[in-house]
Amino acid sequence: MSRRANVINRVVLTVLGLLLLAAGGLGLALSVGAFGAWRATYPVLPREVSTFPDGRPWFWWAVAGGLLLIAVLALLWLLTQFKADRTTRLDRTTNARDGYTTLHASALTDAVENEALGITGVTSASANVHEHRGQHVFLRVELADSADIGEVRTRLENEVVAHLREGVGDPRFPVTIELRPGASRTPQRSVT
Amino acid sequence: MTATSWVTRVVSALLALALLLGSLMVVVEIVAAALGRAPALVPYPEWTSWLRTHSWNDWIVNVVLGGLVVLGLLFLLLAFRRGKPASLALRSGSAGVDFAASRRSVEKSLAAAAARTTGIAGASASVSRRTARVDARTVARSEPGIREAVESGVRGRLDSLGLERRLRTRVRLTAKDTR
Repeated sequence: MSRRANVINRVVLTVLGLLLLAAGGLGLALSVGAFGAWRATYPVLPREVSTFPDGRPWFWWAVAGGLLLIAVLALLWLLTQFKADRTTRLDRTTNARDGYTTLHASALTDAVENEALGITGVTSASANVHEHRGQHVFLRVELADSADIGEVRTRLENEVVAHLREGVGDPRFPVTIELRPGASRTPQRSVT
Repeated sequence: MTATSWVTRVVSALLALALLLGSLMVVVEIVAAALGRAPALVPYPEWTSWLRTHSWNDWIVNVVLGGLVVLGLLFLLLAFRRGKPASLALRSGSAGVDFAASRRSVEKSLAAAAARTTGIAGASASVSRRTARVDARTVARSEPGIREAVESGVRGRLDSLGLERRLRTRVRLTAKDTR
């Protein structure tokens, strides 16, 4: 799931919310006579406004242009909902003049998953390469309830992350590890 | 993803779709009107005459305006509501390695830790940004020291996780129905 989509959603919802709040609030203020009692009895669409486009053929084309822009932005907003941060390739190009170097993300993530699974207490592991403010590996590790979390963390950091960084040739390659302690079912104590 | 983000995402998708279709419908009407055709999708002559015959202080106009205010507030609520976190940050190790624990798994783990206490028949846990709440069902009505034992088990589990931000613990004990 895309973090970028969450940020965009919050921004657009804030803008639309403020616009609706301002429109509704100003209209209600107008209706209670906050801008003069005579305005409250005025039609919502005065004749001078509804006849404004008469004799101005550009007006409706300008409106159509504005609406097309809104439609394009709405389409982009809609597509953002279905985009994921995940990427299938890892760009390791150091100098574009010498050529491009890309690494299949699955080759890297499979190796990371297999190594993580070799740690005592790890019951399942899944890794992905994410593209959000630069590339980084996201590793999700499920732990048995009896797992020594400190020991698992140390081995993940010293072995899995170290080998991963060695593999991509970047000693500072960012990694996010999500631990899921007790994700595997623990039998509940039954008391009779 | 948390429930809040799902709701926000669904509302955003529907809103984007409505804006897209609405804008295109009006563009179609503008083109149809320019070609001298009758309204195709939106009965705008009726809408225009309705707006001309209703004033700002009409009750129906106020209802619509009130609806806009409510909708605006709902959008702002969705935009600013944080909800429960999907994961809790753990104390990070070396540079460039971020550790986190998924909230749901922490809840399961705390419930399991509480359920391991002698005299506890079962437990459930709920974790927010600052607090971990554990509801434990006891076998006997009042066993002395059972609350402290559950609290100690839960705190021990939280300590072993190494959360970046210490959570307050709240333990609630209920006697298991022994009918």
